[in-house]
Amino acid sequence: MSEQIALMTQGLTKSYGRVRALRGVDLEVRRGEIFGFLGPNGAGKTTTIRCLLDLIRPDGGTVRVLGVNPQSDPVTVRARTGYLPGELQLEPNMTVESALRYFIDLRGNKVDWGFVRQLVQRLDLDFTRPIKNLSHGNKQKIGIVQALMHHPELLLLDEPTLGLDPLMQQEVYRLLREAQADGATVFFSSHIIGEVETLAERVAILRRGVIVQEAEPSQLTSMAIRRVWVRFKEVVDPTPLDRVEGITLLSKSNGISAHLQVEGEMDGLIKALAAFPVSDFEIERPSLEEIFLAYYEAGDKEAG
Amino acid sequence: MFAEFKHTLRRMRGQMIGWGIGLTLYGLLMVSLYDSIVGIEGFQELIASYPPELMAFFGDADFMAITTPKGYVGLYYFEYMTIIIGIFAVAACASLLVGHEEKGILDLVMAHPISRTALFWGRLLGYVAATAVILLVGYLSWYIPSGSSGLDLSWIELLRPFLPLFAQLLLFGTLALLFSMVLPSGRIAGMITGGLLVANYLLLGLSNLNESLKSFVEFTPLYYYQGGDAIVELNWGWLAGLLAVSAIFALLAWWRFQRRDIRVGGEGGWRLPSLPFHRRAGAGREA
Repeated sequence: MSEQIALMTQGLTKSYGRVRALRGVDLEVRRGEIFGFLGPNGAGKTTTIRCLLDLIRPDGGTVRVLGVNPQSDPVTVRARTGYLPGELQLEPNMTVESALRYFIDLRGNKVDWGFVRQLVQRLDLDFTRPIKNLSHGNKQKIGIVQALMHHPELLLLDEPTLGLDPLMQQEVYRLLREAQADGATVFFSSHIIGEVETLAERVAILRRGVIVQEAEPSQLTSMAIRRVWVRFKEVVDPTPLDRVEGITLLSKSNGISAHLQVEGEMDGLIKALAAFPVSDFEIERPSLEEIFLAYYEAGDKEAG
Repeated sequence: MFAEFKHTLRRMRGQMIGWGIGLTLYGLLMVSLYDSIVGIEGFQELIASYPPELMAFFGDADFMAITTPKGYVGLYYFEYMTIIIGIFAVAACASLLVGHEEKGILDLVMAHPISRTALFWGRLLGYVAATAVILLVGYLSWYIPSGSSGLDLSWIELLRPFLPLFAQLLLFGTLALLFSMVLPSGRIAGMITGGLLVANYLLLGLSNLNESLKSFVEFTPLYYYQGGDAIVELNWGWLAGLLAVSAIFALLAWWRFQRRDIRVGGEGGWRLPSLPFHRRAGAGREA
């Protein structure tokens, strides 16, 4: 495996009894990048991440994390990785400080306590509070601190901003960008499209245990279906546009404007519009959310 | 491993304190009552009037020996401490790993650089140490005040019966741990092991009334529990046998823990380990 690859899976499969959670996940995450792993609940995001840490054993496929097979050397992988589980649970009778000291102990006390204090302050946590008295968001902050505190080479974060208020979400994004600037690779799962759009340099969309798309967020949006408003100088019949490949006429307002759907390149539409007296032209860029939904709707139709 | 051992002891400190206080109070009470009980006029006649079946249930114990230090400590402490402290052993071990797994806590713990082996043995040794502390408190609660009573037992005489008790607690504890590794939940593992402990205790008593049960109870752990008899002489063979069986249970549990998925809520079912025909039946179905 190339030194430049932080994480790689090939044909990763995993079933829970009769349920096929992963059906051949192929992933490649480069060192130093922030990679978003997008998918709805039950798509297999958590299962994939847990396979990377040898918390569960895949039925088939290859996994390499920082060049190491987690099944043959899980301790090395975990020493170099910071992990935030999707459903973070902590021992309720511990305080914030005792929980963090326990995690430091598990890391062989190789953590700078000064950096831990800094993280705790930035996330506005109180060391002395018992975990049982903390809100979900504050517990999540402990999870973020323990994932970052040892300056890991790779961060595996399952829904990192779950339960955090918008201000704290921004602080977490800053922390992740700082970790990236220090050389860390960030691999995070989310079903919040805005978060992926804000943070990720590349994104993979997982649907029913397989990757259906992998690209930069901007590439995904440019490849997607777009909607176009065309206003004409005079009343025309825009019906011929409907016959152009990749163009669907959604509506026409008394022949003075048309609402079109364009799939793929814009070239065909521009050439077709040359025959019309166009006064205005507006392209609606789809959000990542619309693309995401399009993949799922398409998938559901196929399944149906 | 040491980090997990230390943490397990810290987590069990509440149980150690609770059981320690309970056993101390009981020990102090029973030692202070010894002289009064022995001195009760007509006590031996009262014992002699008990139904012979009741006496037989408690293992042909010489109930008249209750007025001796060995008989008193044996009957009022070691006869049923396997059941009493056994509750702690079974509950603690059935949830030693699976308790945190079911709560989703183990997921994060195991994402740290600790091997499954270190986690397993760190926690099991933590339980062993916690049990030893509880028994040590129990021992001291009898030994310290015994000097001011007629309960004339040396430190080694009183210590000996604690060893088979310790071995029994290890055996039932590791059995609960093993069950927790193969059964769908820690609660079921605890219930089954606890049920086996109580059933073994009752069966052993009944075998004293029904000879046909004798050959069966020889295959049960409590048959090899000396109780108060160890005050006089310890059966090292039985002790070693109990410890060996405990070690086998622990190794089997460790072997199973090495190979299993760490579960979190909502991820797959809580079922018995998959059998080959289950896998075939499941092939082809999607998430």
